[in-house]
Amino acid sequence: MADKLLKKENLGKLIESVLGKGGRFIAPSTDARQVVFKAVAKAEDLASDYILARNSYKEFLFPQTEVVAEFTVGKDGVDLRGTDVNPKDTVIFGSRPCEAASLSALRAVFTWDFIDEFYTKREDKTVVLTVACTKGDEACFCTTVGLSPETKDGSDVYLKETESGDYIIEAVTDKGKAFVEKHAAVFEDGSATAKPLFIPAKIEGIDLDKIKERLAKTENYADPVWGELTKKCIGCGACTFVCPTCHCFDITDEGTAFEGERRKNWDSCQYENFTLHASGHNPRDFQHKRWRNRFMCKFNYYPNKFSSKGCVGCGRCIRVCPVRLDITEVMEAMSK
Amino acid sequence: MENTLRQKAKELLESGEVKVVIGYRWNRTRTRTTPVFITKPEDTDQLIFNPLCVNNLSLYLTRKFKDIQALGKPAIVAKGCDIKNIVVLITEAQVKREDVFIIGMVCNGMVYKQELWKGELTPQIMPTKCHNCDVRNPHVADFVIGERSTFTPPEKPEGMVFDKIKALDSKDPSERWAFWINEFSRCIKCYACRQVCSLCFCERCITEKNMPQWIETSAHPRGNLSWNLTRAMHLVGRCTFCGECERACPVNIPLNLINQKMIQVVGEAFDFKSGYDEKVHPPMIVFSPDDKENFIK
Repeated sequence: MADKLLKKENLGKLIESVLGKGGRFIAPSTDARQVVFKAVAKAEDLASDYILARNSYKEFLFPQTEVVAEFTVGKDGVDLRGTDVNPKDTVIFGSRPCEAASLSALRAVFTWDFIDEFYTKREDKTVVLTVACTKGDEACFCTTVGLSPETKDGSDVYLKETESGDYIIEAVTDKGKAFVEKHAAVFEDGSATAKPLFIPAKIEGIDLDKIKERLAKTENYADPVWGELTKKCIGCGACTFVCPTCHCFDITDEGTAFEGERRKNWDSCQYENFTLHASGHNPRDFQHKRWRNRFMCKFNYYPNKFSSKGCVGCGRCIRVCPVRLDITEVMEAMSK
Repeated sequence: MENTLRQKAKELLESGEVKVVIGYRWNRTRTRTTPVFITKPEDTDQLIFNPLCVNNLSLYLTRKFKDIQALGKPAIVAKGCDIKNIVVLITEAQVKREDVFIIGMVCNGMVYKQELWKGELTPQIMPTKCHNCDVRNPHVADFVIGERSTFTPPEKPEGMVFDKIKALDSKDPSERWAFWINEFSRCIKCYACRQVCSLCFCERCITEKNMPQWIETSAHPRGNLSWNLTRAMHLVGRCTFCGECERACPVNIPLNLINQKMIQVVGEAFDFKSGYDEKVHPPMIVFSPDDKENFIK
């Protein structure tokens, strides 16, 4: 059977085709000396050599700051006006299989007890084009959490790079099939050989079931090992900001006393204020307790509450951590 | 060097002179270094020292780390640049000199970021601070480890940060403004710059004062500008140019440019450089009848 190919010289045409139909094209691109996901307008803007963008593309589905309402305070009371979200068609190009798998985790939380349309409407309009990994680094640990570069969960179209720099494409979902049809002119039939994938070695000594079992036991909650492993955490929250599955936000009113906007801003469980009560009491009064919460969220609360993964093993938190607090070292300790 | 370090740490813990040694260890794959807190003499073999030991561990001496303070008197493995921060902490009454045992490490330079390490320390991967370092031989320490460095820094500081500051200074104010607005536009308000800074030791930062909210939490141009400028101002006369904030910034904002510029301004106005003498208070917290008044116009 012939493969469907996206020739590298047609990548520009694909971008034009997407933009021409009123959409936006998000792809890894170099900005301020690092590769990040951002809106691009031409093929030359794409980063050619990268493992994983520094940020995750969740910010295009769940913006860091977004206005959810506007208010005016008048003599007769408060006039609160909700904001409608009318997202553009969005194409994410160059997702890796690990981050594609994170979308079901975001969807799970944003449709759990309340349908958050600010998220769902954006995700419905988003097509994820995953390019399977041909390289990786030592922070990659997808295989340790049960994923691999061959995983297609969350991908609408799954692409494999060929030796000549083209892509073999496979439409995975209906959304993906519709996308390929919509931009049929840029794809062509042919046959090519895919480059071998980079499959990170599974980290020995990590067992997700054992971790889950250990975390589920309440007597382990106050285990001093949490402090020993994680007291070096400085609470910067960078891990939560680059994490594709972290999704906590805060609602804040900004403006003057008489008019302003209600904004939904990313928040982080690593911040002291995250659980600070009005009384002054803080149940997570030390940084290691905040770190424990993030770990619990990924490997206990999430897998129990939703049938999706809390951690996809992309390794961003390891790369970004200023004190190199490696989540896999904690996973290893918790597997005992 | 490492053997002496381990031996000294062991002695300090065994004798009970200190209760914890704050130092560096390898990660699991021995490719990166990470901070470690050693409390048992038998664990001192974990301690290492090499050009990947970039972290300024003086951060762990601050009040933010109550669980580390609770361990008891610390010894800290510190390079000259880290010692500058300890000196500021002492002058600002955050730490008493006698309450910390400083193991000063003679240093021949560090990598700017650990990812740059390819097995050899070359000038290209060293930050500007290392090229101009005048404290390769630790200037305030209880015990110094390493062969004395003979490095002399250039008479006039040089390197990428200084070149960029010169280039910025030559621009007109509107261009400079545009430059910084663009740089700050990437800010994601994670506050990693503050968290990694040992001199940002306020237990309640102004960003956390939300009645009223002085600094908007949204990552938009106004909120980003007010945060970055506020932090810069709060470090005037205090910042030692250790570079941790720029290293920690996930979006590569060139914070070293702001901080070094402030250092130059303070140098000109007060003839003061922070971090050298633990008995001299920084200019912003003292009044001297000799203070220059020529800025009053």
